[in-house]
Amino acid sequence: MASAFKPGQRGPALAGGLIALFLIFFLVVPVVQVVLVAFQDPNTGAPTLINFVDFFTTSLFQESFVNSFYVAAMSVVVATIIAIPLAYFTTRFNFSGALLIQTLGIIPLIMPPFVGAVAMTLLFGANGSVNLLLDEWFGFTIPFMEGLNGVIFVESIHYFPFILINLSAALNNIDRSMEESAQNLGANGVRLFRRIVFPLAMPGYVAGAALVFIKVFDDLGTPLLLNINNMLAPQAFLRITSIGISDPMGYVISVILVAFSLLSLWVSLLALRGKDYSTVQKGGGGLMRRDLRTWEKIGCYAVVILILLLVLSPHLGLLLLSFGTIWSYSVLPDAYTFEHYVTVFSEASGYITNTLLYAGLAALFDVIIGTAIAYIVWRTGLPGRKWLDYGATAALAVPGVVIGIGYLRTFHSFNVPIIDQPLASWWVIIVVALTIRRLPYALRACMAALQQVSIMLEEAAENLGATKGRTVWRVVVPLMSGGILAGFVTSFATASVELSATLMLVAVDSDAPLAYGIYEFMQSASGRGPGAALGVIGVLFVGLGTYFSHRIIERSRASRESTAVVAEGATA
Amino acid sequence: MTSTDTTTAGVDIESLNLSFDDTHVLKGIDLSIEPGEFFAFLGPSGSGKSTLLRAIAGFGPTPTGRILIGGEEIAHLPPWKRNVGMVFQSYALWPHMTVRKNVAFGLEERKVPTREIATRVDAALEMVGLLDLADRRPAQLSGGQQQRIALARTIVVEPRVLLLDEPLSNLDANLRVQMRRELRELQQKLQLTTIFVTHDQEEANTTSDRMAVLNDGVIQQVGTPMELYDNPANLFVATFLGTANVLSGVVEDADGGAQFNAVDGAQIPVDSAERGSRNLMFRPQNVVIAAADTCADADGVRLTGTVRHVEFLGSIIRYGVTIGADTVLVDDRHQQGAPVFAPDSQVSLLLPRDQLMVLES
Amino acid sequence: MNNHKSGFVRVASLALALSLLAAPLSLPAVDGTLTIVTSYPKDTTGTFKKAFEKKYPNVKVEMLKKKTTAGIKYLQETAGSNTADMFWASAPDAFEVLKGDDLLIKYQVKVKGIPEKVGSFPINDPDGYYKGFAASGYGIMWNTRYLKAKKLPAPAEWADLKKPVYHGHVGMSAPSRSGTTHLTVETLLQGKGWEKGWAEWKAMAGNFKTVTERSFGVPDGVNSGQFGVGIVIDFFGLSSKASGFPVEYVYPTVTTLVPANIALVKNGPNPEAAGAFIEYLLSAEGQELLLDPKIRRLPVNPATYAKAPAGFPNPFKDSSIGSAVKFDLGLSKGRYNVINSLFDVMITYRLDDLRDTTKAIQDAEAAMAGKSNAQAADLIAQAKALVNEVPVDEATASKKEFNGIFKKKRKKSTTQVTGRQAEVEQEWDAMVKANYAKAKSLAEKAKSML
Repeated sequence: MASAFKPGQRGPALAGGLIALFLIFFLVVPVVQVVLVAFQDPNTGAPTLINFVDFFTTSLFQESFVNSFYVAAMSVVVATIIAIPLAYFTTRFNFSGALLIQTLGIIPLIMPPFVGAVAMTLLFGANGSVNLLLDEWFGFTIPFMEGLNGVIFVESIHYFPFILINLSAALNNIDRSMEESAQNLGANGVRLFRRIVFPLAMPGYVAGAALVFIKVFDDLGTPLLLNINNMLAPQAFLRITSIGISDPMGYVISVILVAFSLLSLWVSLLALRGKDYSTVQKGGGGLMRRDLRTWEKIGCYAVVILILLLVLSPHLGLLLLSFGTIWSYSVLPDAYTFEHYVTVFSEASGYITNTLLYAGLAALFDVIIGTAIAYIVWRTGLPGRKWLDYGATAALAVPGVVIGIGYLRTFHSFNVPIIDQPLASWWVIIVVALTIRRLPYALRACMAALQQVSIMLEEAAENLGATKGRTVWRVVVPLMSGGILAGFVTSFATASVELSATLMLVAVDSDAPLAYGIYEFMQSASGRGPGAALGVIGVLFVGLGTYFSHRIIERSRASRESTAVVAEGATA
Repeated sequence: MTSTDTTTAGVDIESLNLSFDDTHVLKGIDLSIEPGEFFAFLGPSGSGKSTLLRAIAGFGPTPTGRILIGGEEIAHLPPWKRNVGMVFQSYALWPHMTVRKNVAFGLEERKVPTREIATRVDAALEMVGLLDLADRRPAQLSGGQQQRIALARTIVVEPRVLLLDEPLSNLDANLRVQMRRELRELQQKLQLTTIFVTHDQEEANTTSDRMAVLNDGVIQQVGTPMELYDNPANLFVATFLGTANVLSGVVEDADGGAQFNAVDGAQIPVDSAERGSRNLMFRPQNVVIAAADTCADADGVRLTGTVRHVEFLGSIIRYGVTIGADTVLVDDRHQQGAPVFAPDSQVSLLLPRDQLMVLES
Repeated sequence: MNNHKSGFVRVASLALALSLLAAPLSLPAVDGTLTIVTSYPKDTTGTFKKAFEKKYPNVKVEMLKKKTTAGIKYLQETAGSNTADMFWASAPDAFEVLKGDDLLIKYQVKVKGIPEKVGSFPINDPDGYYKGFAASGYGIMWNTRYLKAKKLPAPAEWADLKKPVYHGHVGMSAPSRSGTTHLTVETLLQGKGWEKGWAEWKAMAGNFKTVTERSFGVPDGVNSGQFGVGIVIDFFGLSSKASGFPVEYVYPTVTTLVPANIALVKNGPNPEAAGAFIEYLLSAEGQELLLDPKIRRLPVNPATYAKAPAGFPNPFKDSSIGSAVKFDLGLSKGRYNVINSLFDVMITYRLDDLRDTTKAIQDAEAAMAGKSNAQAADLIAQAKALVNEVPVDEATASKKEFNGIFKKKRKKSTTQVTGRQAEVEQEWDAMVKANYAKAKSLAEKAKSML
């Protein structure tokens, strides 16, 4: 058996095997379980399509299906509308507010959409601040938050950074000569955009848009808090929690959610395959930029500030709510107090420590597994290594609700030895769920980091006597450190605000993380102030983490670049 | 106003200055290109030749000065209104369009009727010999094919001037030679004023009617290739175009004429009105190498020296001969069986007087 | 050496024997973890947890938050390897379900001072399985600012909520999602009868702005001014008001006071602590905690009311509260699932249609005011009848087999099932949808005649 692997491959093979087991046990098996139950007759256990027939012939579920689709699509549209001017400003002009826009792009990501939902209702609801003012001054109201609109509004504000990043990157990847040659032949303005810039930016955009689509489609927390139940994810949650873990509809919905997620991923892949239009050539990439005239500058800043206000509104609303005493049918709270924060710190520190623990562990596992997979895929010739990549990335297609349901179903009768508790209600299962859910992102970061490390650096080390293992530890991992850290922080930040799977898997209050705590606190008839305070703390916490990680990455990149410059200078 | 005149035109540039932020890149360019001329901008990298070309096309910072095409001022026009066709170094074919659509682009922008577009596109592709590739995508073409398509795309709109930005530098050596000949033929057929940017003097020499040598944003000299080669205006042009022997020294009066007193001690009579510190330049192929005791004839000058190294270059034997402190290169045509001077042997170098050039630094 | 060893062994075994003898003489220690499955919000559970842990420092209380229906399911599913000690929720019918499934154990309360009944309802389960610790009634809360701004009158009775003036201003949860809402629906059905009760609910529902996902969504909506009027359990209204929100609460005449309960779960890991918890709840100290502004529930110990703030409702003194309806728990239990599904199919998931239809009928009736047009009146009556039609009659609704369709099938169940839940619900939905559409067109026609 040992001879089947080249020297230096045994380690990776073992690691690969362990990872494969992990993925199989905690991703493949639960999802397969869910799919099987959906196709089983609940009475007899025989295979059947009857559950799907029931689903598609029930008007409630038909409605939920259409609604989920509609909301996800419209969220993409609205998010794009918000992102387009910002992408345009940063790629087309020498706009001094570019840093501002970058920050804009991060702000929404540090607050979970469902926390924002509550604040948005107070600001933009039928009798919220904005509408009260509109009604008073102009005599009309805008149904920002009516029905599905509310979900779309909250989701697009939260997810537009994905679109912005992808759009900006796609635009920046277009070689300048593409535009210049078109201008040389007579094209300009809108025609130039439509015929050249847009088609070349499309693939990158579609990749981002497809991702936003799935995320909105699968989101459980936001519709739940906005009291919208006729959508797929809330229905699955409600069926399982109200009717029971054997209700077939919950599983049918899970299958549909997964199918659609896979479809979106496939579309995204298709868009990028063979159409990678990035051609970086002499003279620099990116579209031509020009300076702004003064009135144009004012216009740009006006748009940016408007979008900034919009993007900050959930945060503002949350702040107001956390400091407000009573906020009812009025533009602003009646009075302000610190009391809610006091309540939170005395009663809710457990949520915070739990989050630190769970998200920290999950992120740690993610980067370890991510680095291992990246190395195995790119540096070894082990058979079947591509499947590790696919397997880990497949988690993207599994919504949190489905993971939750799958784990509950698969592990509720599985008793953990020593602790003598079902695995499904042990807090570690939450860490596992977070790890699996965030792994695809960490993996991409690790892969990108690894691809920047030239293989010759490893070969030089091996030439000088280091084994594979020592090389990885002393050369590869340190050189990847920036990317690994980026992966860790992203995993951490997103894991600490995950709600969908958490909602299903939290068994006892004392095991609950931050997001769950916020959800709980927000259900108090004596006021949501403490919930909002907890939300603010969570946001600050994630925001600070993100900020510091950026600083670290910038510093490591700068140090890498300066050595590169020195090296160049030495040979010039 | 858009220029709609499509007959080929001359290009006049007057007092053109251009800066990138604080760096002054083009300094006082004055140039006149005749209609139908194949004109080259030649220079080392950083000389500003591409910048000048792009300024004519309308790309980059706005320059001061005037640019006239066929007598019309165009410096204030945006690129899409200038009707000057440009072929980019990277060809810039749009990957999401077929060859045909790429070539048709300019015509569509000019609102040419569809029927006519089809005919003209086919004609242009025919002209570059690639009609059968009309439905392929750029990614499926070779470098040479892409370059021809880029060319077709530009000439199909019948621009008044054709601008080529280092069009051959991305091709391999043999292809380059073939392509430059084809370019020249095409240009002559179309009688199209063409400006061609290159850093390769061989390309410039073989294709252009006239050329401008640029260095550090300043035009050093304008003329036909042979003119520039034989009568360089300054040391830069002399050494940039071909190999040159340069001796520094002083030109002083001597017996009714002038004499160049080289630093190393050689004294060479010259025909020059200039006086003072100068350089004396002569080409290796104009020097005759002979046995040490050979005399010069009436129009010649004789220098004596020692052979330092001998390089066999195939059709030429290149000698490096030390004269005093200088080393002079001599190119001697190689004939099978002819004697070759060995290193350390004493030789006479015979320079014809009219091949000596006195240049400022 | 042997002597030492055997001597030591003798002393050790004597000590052991003594300690074993001593053991039964000491009281069972209250320590370890106490796990409670509860549907109560953090305000209630947090307050009691803190107080109880203060009194018994060795105990750690774990709250498993589950909605009533989810809690029942949870206990049913984990019965084999139970980790929960207690079930703490409002609806007595939920406890009946668990009792029927043999998932509870009896407990004998030691605290004195708790009467037999509150209102007309027994406080404790006569079989001794679950205990009442607080009483709750159902009623109406409203936002004073909202009503003022929109110039709406304050409601007092259920019938008020049928009035056209409240169209689009009322919110409520659904029985399937909230044990307390379920009780509210049952109360009205029992008070007015099956047909009249459903008619009443439909007329009110026609004025609904929304059916919230959780019972909490109703007071939340009223508190934040999203809608003006909410149908809620009393403590939501009272605690909101006590917390400073601009809201008021009222008990309509047709209401009942039902105890909120707690019980020990069978095979729970820590029955001693569980017992101590019940004792604490019912003690003077525990009952007083119910008066906390964040909680505001009606204590079952009449003596506690002496400490209550002015204006706090006292069912032991004021007999008007909750005496109109004598709540039949058995009836409620027997048709629990059918009620849930009926409400959802007829009201929750068809809310838009019902709302539009009701508006049309209200418009027609408004147009009819003062006029006399027999044909139009007849059309309106027809429309109303269509809206009020219930696809199942009262008798069938209580049938065990019929209810069985709406339960999840358990492996040891032997009940026959005549149809599948989805199938039946789809039938109902089709009927209801058609009825509402027809009623709407009839009403519009009637209006056009006037």
